[in-house]
Amino acid sequence: MKHINDMIAELVDVANHPVRSVRTAMERTGKKAVGCFPIYTPDELIHAAGAIPVGMWGGPEMGNLSDRYYQTFCCSVVKANTHQALRGDYDFLSAVLVTAYCDTLKCTIENWKVAVPHLNVIPVVYPQNRKLEAGRQFLIEEFQRIRKELEKALETTITDEAIEESFALYEAYRKAMRTFVDVAGRYPGLIDATARHAIIKAACFMDKEEYTDKINALIEALEAVSAEEHGQKKIILTGLLAEPDEFLDLFGENGLVVVADDLAQESRQFRVEAAAEGDALTRMAGRIADQDGCSFLYDDEKSRGAMLIDLKNKYNADGIVYCQLKFCDPEEFDYPIVKREMEEVGIPLLYIEIEQQMDSVEQLRTRIQTFAEIL
Amino acid sequence: MYLGVDIGSSSSKAVILDEGGNIAGQAVINIGTGSRGPQKVIEEALSQAGIERTQIARTVVTGYGRMTFEGADKQITEISCHAKGVSAVAPDARTIIDIGGQDAKVISIDELGNVKNFVMNEKCAAGTGRFLEVMGRVLDTTIDGLSDMAERGVEGVTISSTCTVFAESEMISQLAAGKKIEDVALGAHKSIAQRVAGLVNRIGISPEVVLSGGVALNESVIRALEKELGYDIIRLKSPQTMGALGAAIYAMGLDKNGTEA
Repeated sequence: MKHINDMIAELVDVANHPVRSVRTAMERTGKKAVGCFPIYTPDELIHAAGAIPVGMWGGPEMGNLSDRYYQTFCCSVVKANTHQALRGDYDFLSAVLVTAYCDTLKCTIENWKVAVPHLNVIPVVYPQNRKLEAGRQFLIEEFQRIRKELEKALETTITDEAIEESFALYEAYRKAMRTFVDVAGRYPGLIDATARHAIIKAACFMDKEEYTDKINALIEALEAVSAEEHGQKKIILTGLLAEPDEFLDLFGENGLVVVADDLAQESRQFRVEAAAEGDALTRMAGRIADQDGCSFLYDDEKSRGAMLIDLKNKYNADGIVYCQLKFCDPEEFDYPIVKREMEEVGIPLLYIEIEQQMDSVEQLRTRIQTFAEIL
Repeated sequence: MYLGVDIGSSSSKAVILDEGGNIAGQAVINIGTGSRGPQKVIEEALSQAGIERTQIARTVVTGYGRMTFEGADKQITEISCHAKGVSAVAPDARTIIDIGGQDAKVISIDELGNVKNFVMNEKCAAGTGRFLEVMGRVLDTTIDGLSDMAERGVEGVTISSTCTVFAESEMISQLAAGKKIEDVALGAHKSIAQRVAGLVNRIGISPEVVLSGGVALNESVIRALEKELGYDIIRLKSPQTMGALGAAIYAMGLDKNGTEA
């Protein structure tokens, strides 16, 4: 058991010290690093360029430097990223991929080009109609453009072979993660909500080969011990992300176990397996086309609710927690629809508004405790 | 005997139930968590019931200060306790609006007083008792005084800001513009009702609707809310003690180990 605890502690430590972890990975591999805003950036292209993709998911300190560029009602992840960029924390990055899912991100692309030109901002624009052939073609061309911009920023050439190899590695990573989230919920004593989150997040700050090896080793070690018998209530988290730790700790405190998630920072990153046919770029575009139930991608079927119900049934969960990052409008617009669908089938749903920078979790404690009392 | 204690942000409440579930004593003290309020309110409820602390078989604590209170067999959230307490005195209640000193909650309950769903205000004083306190201060009066003033108001002024501080300066501007103090007071009540109605809409409303918490003593708020929601609101005799009553009811259901019997 000590062995498993050490493996967990190592990954939790990586997640808790992002800058140190990335710098360590850079030194060990001799690779450059490229920042990746949330979510679905084509990390495979960065890897194929011989660099480390680094997840940029805000942080516990929002500061005030970003106030030069943003209003108070912008999301805290983007504001924290901007504060850190203006402070020079990201100066070790060779480029930053910024997505354009919401108004805040769109304007971030523009503002960062002015505010931090040395960070080589590369926009990533996904097609609205991603399932149509034209949408897929648009996305493949977008990947080709990003490939060229990465080549320029990293002063290298990205070969087709390298992209194929990187894509295969990422598919292996995603497969390992699907197994991990399936297994982790059976061991709440070893992996509580906070550790589960940190283990998954550690992937943002490590070289992917090393991380995948560690996750596979952890899964193997976990499966060698019998699953824990626990009488705790099972919950599923949905939203952009579930942070900070003080918030996640409240689940364990109230006897709630996270058995699955539909978080953009976690399972939405890896739950879709690519179709077998085609070259890597076609398969990458196909993965985005097949990604459903995500508030950041246009979904004319609005399948999030149905997917949550399936997830609830699969894991025999007792309830769902809607983790609403304050001022994240794509997620806010989804909530009324999800709420109605959960009410129709009688699944308890808790709506929680969070920020990464929360000093006091007293109100959240009351909400989560009440939810546990309802369950 | 069973004791329920509700330690809020600005007041402490206690209810003692006898073996038959009848109220033997209840008290409210207008100081809350972090003060001597909880201790004093228990003493007062005990003296009203004419018993000693040792005669209390089980205690349940609720409210914002529940985590730091020592000497309870169990702590339960104020949301569950309000639901239980209101359901005991108003069995037809299905929607509870609880406006306390620093937060506002809307609770949807079933016929047994179990919580079906709930929503709370975020980190903002709009729609809470504190909002009325601040507005009362601008008009140099208490919450009760503000309510009396609003009763005499004819046409409530519009206070559009969701932020309490900005709403305060809006009120001052309205007074400076020559609006009647009564109409400004009425506007403050309309404003709180609009904020709370927004919360109600998040969760949905089904009758009967009950207002609990200290602000429910304020008739002007009830009227403003009835107008805003389009529903009659049941007036409770003792809206402040619903959380403590619910806690005492929970205490009755506990065995000697503090678990549900």
